[in-house]
Parts: sequence; structure tokens; C-alpha cells
Amino acid sequence: MAIDPATPDTGTGAIRTASGDSVVAAEPGGGAPAAGIGPYRLARRRLRRNKVALAFGALFAIIVILCFCAPLYADHIAHTGPNDNHVTEKVTVGGKEKDVVSVSGLPIGPTWQGRFLLGADQNGRDLAVRLLYGGRNSLEVGFIATFITMILATIVGLAAGYYRGVVDGVLARILDLIWAYPVVLLGIALGTSLALGGLSIGPIEVSGNSLFVPAVIIGVVYIPYVAKPIRGQVLGLREKEFVDAARVQGASSLRIMAREILPNVASTLIVFLPLMIANAILLEAALSYLGAGIQPPNPSWGTMISDGIRLIPSAIHLTFVPGAMLVLAVLGINVFGDGVRDALDPRARVKIKEKETDKVSDDPVEFAVEH
Amino acid sequence: MGTAPDYLDPQLAYTTQAVEAHWISYTGLLTYRHEEGEPGTQLIPGLADALPRISDDGKTYEFTLRRGLRYSDGTAVRASDYPYSIERMIRIPWGGRSFVTNYVVGAADFDAGRARSVSGITADDATGRITIRLREAYGAFSNVLAFPALAFVPRGTAIRNLSNDPPPGVGAYILTDVVPNRSFTLRKNPEFASFRIPDIPTGNLDTIRVNIVSNTNSEAQQVLNNQADIFDSGDTLPPALLPQIESQARDRFARKPVPSTFYFFLNTTKPPFNNEKARIAVNMAMDRDALSRIASGFLETDCFFIPRGIVGHPTSECPYGDRPDLAGAQRMLRDAGLEGAPVTVWGQERSPRKEYIDYYTDLLNKIGFRATERIIADTVYFPTIGNARTDPQTGFADWLQDFPNPSDFYLLMDGRSIQPTNNQNFSKVNDPFIQRELRRLNAVPATELDSVADEWAALDEYTARRAYVAVYGAEAVPKFFSNKLNFDSVFHPLYFNDWSTLSLR
Repeated sequence: MAIDPATPDTGTGAIRTASGDSVVAAEPGGGAPAAGIGPYRLARRRLRRNKVALAFGALFAIIVILCFCAPLYADHIAHTGPNDNHVTEKVTVGGKEKDVVSVSGLPIGPTWQGRFLLGADQNGRDLAVRLLYGGRNSLEVGFIATFITMILATIVGLAAGYYRGVVDGVLARILDLIWAYPVVLLGIALGTSLALGGLSIGPIEVSGNSLFVPAVIIGVVYIPYVAKPIRGQVLGLREKEFVDAARVQGASSLRIMAREILPNVASTLIVFLPLMIANAILLEAALSYLGAGIQPPNPSWGTMISDGIRLIPSAIHLTFVPGAMLVLAVLGINVFGDGVRDALDPRARVKIKEKETDKVSDDPVEFAVEH
Repeated sequence: MGTAPDYLDPQLAYTTQAVEAHWISYTGLLTYRHEEGEPGTQLIPGLADALPRISDDGKTYEFTLRRGLRYSDGTAVRASDYPYSIERMIRIPWGGRSFVTNYVVGAADFDAGRARSVSGITADDATGRITIRLREAYGAFSNVLAFPALAFVPRGTAIRNLSNDPPPGVGAYILTDVVPNRSFTLRKNPEFASFRIPDIPTGNLDTIRVNIVSNTNSEAQQVLNNQADIFDSGDTLPPALLPQIESQARDRFARKPVPSTFYFFLNTTKPPFNNEKARIAVNMAMDRDALSRIASGFLETDCFFIPRGIVGHPTSECPYGDRPDLAGAQRMLRDAGLEGAPVTVWGQERSPRKEYIDYYTDLLNKIGFRATERIIADTVYFPTIGNARTDPQTGFADWLQDFPNPSDFYLLMDGRSIQPTNNQNFSKVNDPFIQRELRRLNAVPATELDSVADEWAALDEYTARRAYVAVYGAEAVPKFFSNKLNFDSVFHPLYFNDWSTLSLR
């Protein structure tokens, strides 16, 4: 059994066995370990006490549930699909018949009833339906992109940090290359070219208007933002005694990475997860706004804002509604993510305070994602 | 003006913003009648004393220059200025010079640097006679001669871009005080009235100052608030301001259709639109009113390829009805066994063209196709869909006239126009009947177009019946003035607001 000296690095306060089978926890601030309570259970406890984070987490969860219920709303309440045009149709509001889109091209505003609850867009499409489907698309892209980022960044970070040398050199330079390119610009370049020709990797064929195209683009451009901190952590962890012990016991490199090092970076990955989802949703919205993300006529919050821009003075709901949903979703996941970070790494807050009072901190883990 | 003219040198300019100023400052041998609608497409003598005398084989055009003409700097106009003006236009070079180099004898050699002059144009200063010889008969050549780029400039005018100090011309106004990309002024030419050229107005306003503003929103606001007098018709009126303009300025705002054709091309060489029933189904189901609303009313609906205002526009009813018949279209597609056929719809990013494609894709899905969109950047759209490697099935297309002649529109239906790159015949129509008719009708001189109007109309009705394209209308542009100007000025089908007919209230 080896005591994990990497504990301060990961910031979880956890002391774990080399085998990773069981953990004991130390109370934050150097207090005595609370026997029998795991670090994640402890983090859950701390998170439960953070009512603000939970409230915003719940807000995000509600948005996710609503968006994933879009087909139910479309079929049973609005009775229209997200791409169904109703330009020349009429709708009865308060006993009066109104054009969905007027002769001069002005779409109807919110009716506060089943059909066109939040109004219509210029093509006479139900804004509420598009909002939910758009949210579903945005969230799906955000989740898939984050999944891609986390998986690839973990593999790259572990391999680069563990093997060092040539492997590290090559991977680090590739990460630098992606890092050096502005995220949005890289996203536009990839998005524009892939939207036209689609994506073809061996037997995998993805058409240009598939959700996977923006998801893959966003997933790839964010890899360095996660892989680099992971690599830094792994570089430190690989020199620790418990890794040496595993090596002496004859464990293979892959086993050491999977069983000894990965559990020690897991809390970092958990903290990154909500932040990356928020960033992926925002980047998806930005790319879609610029025409390089989700391809029309499929809605996303970004494309809806872009479509509504030119009618802002006369139909502000076209931009306000998707904009507000985007803000709420990102705010919800961000504040919840902060809560998760605080729960997993209560000392990070202490270290921030130390920074504010010009005290030099030892090695705080930075989770901010820069653009 | 929300968009600066491309050039203010008349022999370089091609955009609407430029030619609306040049039309009244630089007159050529021929010009157009200053009237609205189809009468405005009628050719009249400009600096020539009469319409051309055209030889029986249609290859020789003869003109005689009016006497006593002077440029705006006082220099006398001579017949020999004309060959020089054409050579300057080719050498400088003007974007549309192929209209001349493809047809005038010796012009291609001059363009290629193999000749020192254009041998097909001769002029005699003593008699004022100007003769132009063509390699082959080209019925629309008189329209080509009416381009402001083929107007007279003095012999010896520098062969370089003179946009900052435009050369002298003959016209009701003089182009002056150019501040690049900021402003320019048109001053009334006091000499022009003395030339007594019939049917060309001599102008009412002494000075017309054109300011180029950074965006059309502020341009429209200024006109709405009477801080500026004309919203340039070449600019797009911001749809968000439309309700305000229509309520506050109803008596000084109008939508004016311009001869143009907006349509969805249907590739006749590729499934499913190689099947006539698929093409007819699209034409049957299309709700043109919906597209007009999407365009904020700036689309005059139509189903024929030759637009209203151009000789040959059919007066008959649409072959597949004026009202959309979705159920009929679905039935037709089912009968043809084309239900579920995959279709990729190509479109541009700019509004409302993207919205047209959103509508069209939804329509195709409703008929029974399995349609997806492919929207690409405006700048690469036409080169992309005009490339044989892309070979698109269907998508957005439009045509704004180069000159008011049906042959200009039927270039897009001519089998000879199908090319591996920069193809304009997007539907890849190569119909023997159309080819035969075009060979005959294209040779009829523009000055005699009225004599074959019925034949052009019959051809266009045939094209509509075969549903080679799905036409939905012609673009309309805004005529929007301040309340200082009379609203009865001429809105010309080619050059939009005729500034020489403007007058103060």
C-alpha cells in the first residue's frame, strides 16, 4: 500500500491506495481524515450545501428536459415540425384571424396559445417548436463535442505526460498548433469546408448537414484546453511512489495509466466537464450564427439569432427568445460547474483568496478555459 | 447610397449604382426612352441622328452623328471619337467588353493586342458617318450600343481609370467633385438643352449630390426623416423599417418590379428532375405568394421565364395554375414513382435567398421528395453550382438583365451555354425546339423586337409547359423619396430612378 503524495495536486483531499480500490478522505484545510467517507461522497455533500449551484443545475436540467421533449410539444401542442413553413396560413388569436406572415413579410408575434406560442419566424415556422428543437440540436452538439474533447484530451494528456520524450514532443506540438489558432476562426474554417463536402474518415461517412460535423469540429478545437492541464498533472503523477510501486510490481504502462494515474486526474476531468459543455454550446451558437455550425433549415439557437437579426426593430422576439435560452443554459451549467469545482476542490477558493491578497500559492489547478 | 459605385469612369462601370449616374451624363449612339415599364426598354437615337440602318444580313450597322454636339468641357464631338471610345473601353478594360469583342470585326484581335485598332468600326468626321461591322448577325447588338460604357468620350482621353476625375461626356448632367467612396456630384449641363435631342430630358434639378453612407439602415432613416432625398433603389431596404416606412411615408414609397427572373433550376440531366413529372410537380405545388411574403413584398410573382417589362412576356395564364396544388403534386410524384427520391437543394447565405431555399426545401419534402439543403457563401455560389463537378440537382438562381431583350434571358436556356465551368444554364436545358427558335429569334435586330413579340411569347409558354425551371417572380426594388421631391419622376426599368426627371415639390 502506498500513500498517494499527489493529493495536494488534485486538490480533492483524497488519499488513495495504489490499487485504487478504496479511498479515505481528509477534511479540507488539513483536518483529520473523516474515516469511511470517499472524496466524491464528500464532494456530493459539499455540493448539496451549495444551494445556488444546485438551483442553476436544476435550471439547466429543466432546459435539457424541455428541449429533449421537443417532439412531444411539436406533435401534441403546436402540431407542426421545426422546419414546416406556414407563410400564407392564418391563425386565430383572441377570436381574430391573423396572417402568420403578413404581406409585407412581418411574422406574427407571441400568441400565448398552442400554435405559435412564441410567434413565428419569417418563413412562418413556429418559433417555440424551433426553439426546443434548436435547443436539442445545440445541446446534442454540446454534449457530443464535450464527450469527444474529454475522451481525446484524456488519451492525449495521459500519453504525452506519461511517455514524455518523442510522444510528448509530437503530441504537445499538435496541441500547440490547434491552440495557436483562434478557436472561432478554426471552427469557421473547418465548419465551412466540412459543411460542403461532409466528413469521411475511412468507412465513416458523415454528411455535411449532420449534427456530428459541428460536434466533431468543436470537440477537436477544445482538446488542447483539457489535454494540456491533464498532461501537466500526469507529468507530476508519473514520478510518484505509487506509480513506481506499480511499475515494480510489473504493471504495464497502459495499466498504470488506466488504474493508477487516471483515477487521480478524474476529479479534474469532472470539473472540466460542465465548463466544456458550456463552452461547446457557446461555440456551437457562434459557429451556427456565422453559418459554419448547424446547417439550415435545422434550427439551433445560433442560427435562430442569426435569422432574426435583420428584423430586430419590428420582431425582437426572433432574437430575444433564443438569445435568452442560450444565456440561461450556459449560465445554468457554468454556475453548476463552479459548484462542482468548489465541491471537489474546496481549497481552490482558498487559493484564489490567497492570490487576491498577493500571497503566492503553491500549485493551484486552473480550470478556466481561455479563448 | 448604401453601396459605392464600382467605378465612376463610364468605360469601367458595371454596377447599378454607377450606371444610374452615367446614363444621364454619358450618351452613346443609342439610348433608352426615359419612361417606366416596357416603353422604357425601347431604344431611341442618342447622339446618332436616327436608329441604325442595318444591312439585310444583319452584319453592318450604320449611323450618322448629330451635328453641333459638344462635350461638357466644350470640345466638339467628332465621329472619330467613337472608335477611340470603343477601343478605350476594350483596353481599359470594361467587364462587359465581350459583348463587343465577340461580335465586332477586329475587336477580339484588338483586345488580344494583335491589332492597333478595331478594324470593324470606321468613322468619317466630315460626314459624321459611323459604320460597325459584325462577324455574325447579333440581334441584341443595338442594346449593346446603348450601354453607357459605349458612350462617347473625347479622343485622347487617358486609357486608365479616371473614376476620381471622370472624363467629359455628352449628357444632361456632368459628373464632378468625386470624393472616392464618400460622395460625388451631378451638375446640370447648361449646353445640353441646346442640342435638342428628342426624348432625352434635359434635367430639372441644378445639382444632385450623392453621399455614400456606411449602411442602408441609416440611409433609409435619413430619407424617412427627410434628411436625405432619395434611398438608392440598388440598395436593400431593411425589412425591419418597412412597417414604419409604410405607415409614415406611404405617399413617397413604392415597390417597383425590375425585369428579372427569380427561379429554382431543375437539372434536366439528373434524377429526379430528368423526369418531366417531377419538374411539373414542383411547379404545381409552388406557392409564389409565400415567396413574395418572405421577400417582404419585394417580389412580383410570375411563372414565365421572360419577365414582365420585356418584349415577349406571355400574357397567358400559368400552365400549372396560379394557385398552389400540393395534393396534385403529391399525386403526380407518386404516379411517377419518385416518392422519397433524395434531392439536395443549393442556396446562398444572403437574405431572403436563404429563406427562399428554406421554403423550397420544405415544399419538396411536402411533395414527397427527401430534400436537404446546402447553403454556401454568396461569393462562391454561382461558380460552385456552375461547375460540372458539382452538377447540382436543384437550387436558387436568378437573372437580372444585361439589357432589355428576351435573348439576354434565353442565354440561360440555350444548349450552347452549357459549359463545364461557369455554366449559366443550370437546368442544362438542351431542347431542339428551343434551339431552333433561338437561332431564328436571336437574329432579329433589337430595334425590330416588337415584330417577333408573339413568337418569343410562344417560346416562353413552351418553356413553362416543359417546366424546365420553377419561376416564381421578378425582383422589386424600393422607390423611396423624401417629401421634398415629387414622387412622379420616372422609374426606369434599367436604370431605376431617372435623376434627370426629378423635381422639387
